[in-house]
Amino acid sequence: MIVTVQKPLDEILDSLEPYTSILIAGCDGCTQPPRGLREAEELRQLVELGGKQRGKNFELKVTTLAKQCDSYLVDTIFRPQAADVEVILSLACGVGVQTLNQVLPEGVTLPAQNTLFMGMEAREAGILEENCSACGDCILAVTGGICPIARCPKNLLNGSCGGQSNDKCEQDPTKDCAWCLIYERLAKLGRLDVLREFRPPRNYRIVARPGRVTV
Amino acid sequence: MSASVSQQAVAIELNEERCSKCSICSSLCPFEAIRKEPETGKVILDIEKCQVCGLCYSTCPAQAISSVYYDIDSLTGYLKRAQQEYKSDTLIILCKGSTPDLTGVEELFGVSRFIPLFVPCVGRMPEEVLLKALTTGINKIHVLACDDDYCRFEKGSTVAGRKIVALNLLLEQLGYGEAVIDLKRNSLKVIVDRDKCIACGTCVFYCPYHAPKLESGAVSVDLDLCRGCGLCVALCPAFALELENWERVRISVLISELAAEMEKPKVLVFRCQWAVLPPLEEEFSSNVRAIDLPCAARVDLLHILEALQNDIDGVLIAACPEEECKQEKKGSKEAQHSVMALKNRLSQIGLEDRLHFCFVAPRYPEVFTGELRQFTEGIRADYLKEGKK
Repeated sequence: MIVTVQKPLDEILDSLEPYTSILIAGCDGCTQPPRGLREAEELRQLVELGGKQRGKNFELKVTTLAKQCDSYLVDTIFRPQAADVEVILSLACGVGVQTLNQVLPEGVTLPAQNTLFMGMEAREAGILEENCSACGDCILAVTGGICPIARCPKNLLNGSCGGQSNDKCEQDPTKDCAWCLIYERLAKLGRLDVLREFRPPRNYRIVARPGRVTV
Repeated sequence: MSASVSQQAVAIELNEERCSKCSICSSLCPFEAIRKEPETGKVILDIEKCQVCGLCYSTCPAQAISSVYYDIDSLTGYLKRAQQEYKSDTLIILCKGSTPDLTGVEELFGVSRFIPLFVPCVGRMPEEVLLKALTTGINKIHVLACDDDYCRFEKGSTVAGRKIVALNLLLEQLGYGEAVIDLKRNSLKVIVDRDKCIACGTCVFYCPYHAPKLESGAVSVDLDLCRGCGLCVALCPAFALELENWERVRISVLISELAAEMEKPKVLVFRCQWAVLPPLEEEFSSNVRAIDLPCAARVDLLHILEALQNDIDGVLIAACPEEECKQEKKGSKEAQHSVMALKNRLSQIGLEDRLHFCFVAPRYPEVFTGELRQFTEGIRADYLKEGKK
């Protein structure tokens, strides 16, 4: 799923400064926790309270959408709800915010979140970590299901770099060294042989940034 | 606990001189707070372990245990006053943990006029009080207890059941007729609106009782497992869950009603019903009101924000210490986590001092009153300062 964090309220209030009527749009999609109707309602109350602190009375309403990144849903279900507001405050990831701006160009959509990365919904640990960089050339089959592109700061294909200490990363000793994890996992699977193979540099042309796919 | 804490008033005390060393109390205590010393036969109460269910108080044959909450005098005093106030001869004793609102109680028992008596566990009701009620104008007693295996005090509901069977036999022999005391068991339950459910799995993860299951695109709740704590309701991102007869809108209505009757600066307390055992006829000053909930985790952040929007100046949340949480030790912790996250958000708009979260246990009644006093004073000081600006 996509991991986002809420923007500080003062930043949100600054961005809303020129406007009065606002639609807060939740997204039930892939963010964690789901930034759905509850978060939209909570943000409505906080913006209202924060507005009053600044001597401003906003007109606020809330809604939510299954996925803000779906142009068809935005165009059909969402459009009528946004008809009479000056600005939309979106609780979706950066993709959702851009979809709203693109499909509804006559209005402005502002972000209420900072979008961080894609990661596992690790509920028990309560810590969310990046797992996938969307590199377009998945090598999880030969790395024991652990991605060194996303989880090694040097993106090494033939690790480890040698800088690790007690299986922790030299760049941040609170994080695991991805290549140590890969080694241990492959050892358990009895597949250390795959580490003997040299992996040549990645083919960066697979996904030419910005990425595009025809469906 | 420090020495100063141990010197303060405690909720339950054992009078050694009166104790007959029968050890009924130690055999009943669900929390192993009372034990009998094998060598001397002396019965010892460890107040730090006591969770104030009151079972020992109501079963001690020697009246060697005293309780500051719901003792015989305060219960009979309440009944005397309530008979006049409610003008009824029917008494309904309700365990707070299993009780719907009063309309729900009416429906459950099919009575429209009754005297309600809320206690934190029906197991703590002394027989004397029931007998006294029947000899002073009460003709019918209904008891609403939690299901046996749902009792938050483990043995309270079972003990209540046994007491009632024995009392009914006695009353029948005395010519009061059959089953004068009627026992019903009940628990609050969650209801799911499958149309609103977005299948995110939040309730599945957080439920302390593993009641929700995610299947065919929406959640369904196994009501045999649900204990009505309301944790899932307060966390559901899609408002797909409700606690039957304690729906969010009822709490919203209550907040506006209370806000309307309070004087400035207004302080609203949300308290776990096990963290604070309120006196039977609790009286607050005109600027304080409280809402009791089945668990601090039932505190919905939206209700806190609604309170602040309703011109309430401060919101205090009282929860059980984490290790004493009656919801598998999960409720209190989650409540703290959510409330502190909201406090952090409020700090971004300069309102962090308007919200306070505290852990309190009923064993030291003054801890809650102290927290409330300190918070109310802070809110009052801020209010006066703002007024001067």
